Parts: sequence; structure tokens; C-alpha cells
Amino acid sequence: MKTNLSEKRITTGKLTELALLTAAALILYVVELQLPNPIPIPGVKLGLANIVTVYAVYRYRPAEVLMVVLVRIFLGSLYGGSMMTFLYSLAGSLLCLLGMLLLRKVTDDRTIWLASVLGAVLHNLGQMTVAVLIAGKGVLFYLPFLMTAGCIAGAFTGFTAQLVRNRLAGKS
Amino acid sequence: MAKDIRTEQKRKSTYILAVLCALVFLGGIGGMLWNLTRSHERQVEILQDGKILYTVDLDRAEDRTFTVTYEGRTNEIEIRNHQIRVKAADCPDQICVHMDWLESAPIVCLPNHLSIQYADGESASGLDAVAN
Repeated sequence: MKTNLSEKRITTGKLTELALLTAAALILYVVELQLPNPIPIPGVKLGLANIVTVYAVYRYRPAEVLMVVLVRIFLGSLYGGSMMTFLYSLAGSLLCLLGMLLLRKVTDDRTIWLASVLGAVLHNLGQMTVAVLIAGKGVLFYLPFLMTAGCIAGAFTGFTAQLVRNRLAGKS
Repeated sequence: MAKDIRTEQKRKSTYILAVLCALVFLGGIGGMLWNLTRSHERQVEILQDGKILYTVDLDRAEDRTFTVTYEGRTNEIEIRNHQIRVKAADCPDQICVHMDWLESAPIVCLPNHLSIQYADGESASGLDAVAN
């Protein structure tokens, strides 16, 4: 099947949608920064901004999702005030994105949350790789904690994204 | 007919995904328990960028406070009553300070590339054992 060129181009409308999504993700990110984290383990967080990522994965093309995620991580790290988080987020998000784009093929509107759980765990594995490179093998102690927390957080963000997607699609 | 096969495949992959998620979750819980209950030595390593700065024997260490610097940023480490913690740090997140006294989990300050952990046979040091 041939794809025609105009389909590949990003229209103004699409660009606006993507910009809006990025803004929403950033707002969620900044709000989450203000919430006290009940679990004082480095790397464990809810990842509210990932609701937007999961939603975007199921709605837009890979390149478009990548744009939203990259801009969000870059600006988010600036707002968060630490370039250290940039590296972690980048490694985690790219791995997560790759996994979710593959998982999208085997999931439907009712199983988005399962893909999100595995995406969150991939995110943790990406983060962990950078942490091991920076702080040494000792941090591997935290890997199971991150994985367990990632499952819970991923299920939460996935369910939320699923809800949003189905509501917006009018399926209640 | 073709649609039946497709829904059947979808159900199968959903099932596999669910099992995978459950395995990761249970594996995580198992790993947590294993990490927390594992016995460790009383030898503590203070590492920066994966290299050992200090090795402290908590049983014999005297109470003291000292400072570790990384690119101008500092962590103040305190040893008291045979325990060790990061007393103060000038990193933005303060996670290492909130972790308080060292228990089984290593204290990590990622912004300053610092970690304080019990020495294991397989620590990042590359040392096989420490003779007593």
C-alpha cells in the first residue's frame, strides 16, 4: 500500500494537538514534583506525565509520540532544575516508548493498561542502566523495588490513559 | 472466519501479556524480600562513581562527621553509635538525607554520584574479600 505524501506531513491541526498534549504532560510533571513522595527510594514515582505518553502511543504515529516525549523530558528537566534527571528520564522513556510501540500491536482498547505495566518496567530498566553506570552496581539493590512500584504505577497510568482514550472515542 | 482467528490470537497474546506482568510483579516482590532479608557484613563502603573512597568497619568505627565533595557539591556523612548516614547534602532532592541511617538498602545520592552500602563479595570494588 502506498502512503501519499500529504498523509505523512504534520498538519497544523495535528501540530496543535501534539503541542497541547506536551503542555498537558508538562503540567502533570510539574504538579507531581510538588507532591510529597511517600516512598523515599530514588527513582520511584507515579509518573503522571506518562498518562499522556500512553495515550499518545495509541493515538499518533511513532515519530509524533517521540516528539511529544522528547520535548516533555527536555523542558521537564529544565523545570525540575536538575539535568541529572534528564539522563534517567531519557534512557527510561526511550526504552519504554520502544517497548510500548511494539506492544501496541498486540493490545487493544481494553488491554492498554497491560502494555503500560510492561512499559513502566522497561522505563525502570532504562533508568537503572544509567544509575548503574553512574553510581555503581550497589544501586541494583533497588531494582526489584523499582519493578514492583513500576507495575503499580504503570497499571495506574495505563488505566487512566485507557479511560481517557475510550471516553474521547465516545465508548464511555 | 478470519475474524474469529484474529480475536483468538488477540486473546492469546493478552493472556501472555497478563502472565508476563504477573511474573514481573511477583519477581519484584520476591527480589525485594530477598534483598531485605539477606545477611550482610558490617563493613561499609563509601563509593563515588563506583570507586571506593572509604571503607568503614561499623563495629569499630568511632563517632565522627566528615564531608565528601563532588564537583563542588557536598555530602556530610555522620558515623554515630556504629551507624552511618548522610546528615546533610546540598543536592536538590535530599533523598539520601531522608533515607537516614543505613539499613540493608544502600544510601544513594545520584546527583553527587555517591553511594554508601554494605560490602559484599560482589561489590563494585572488584575486591574478592577483605581479610580480617
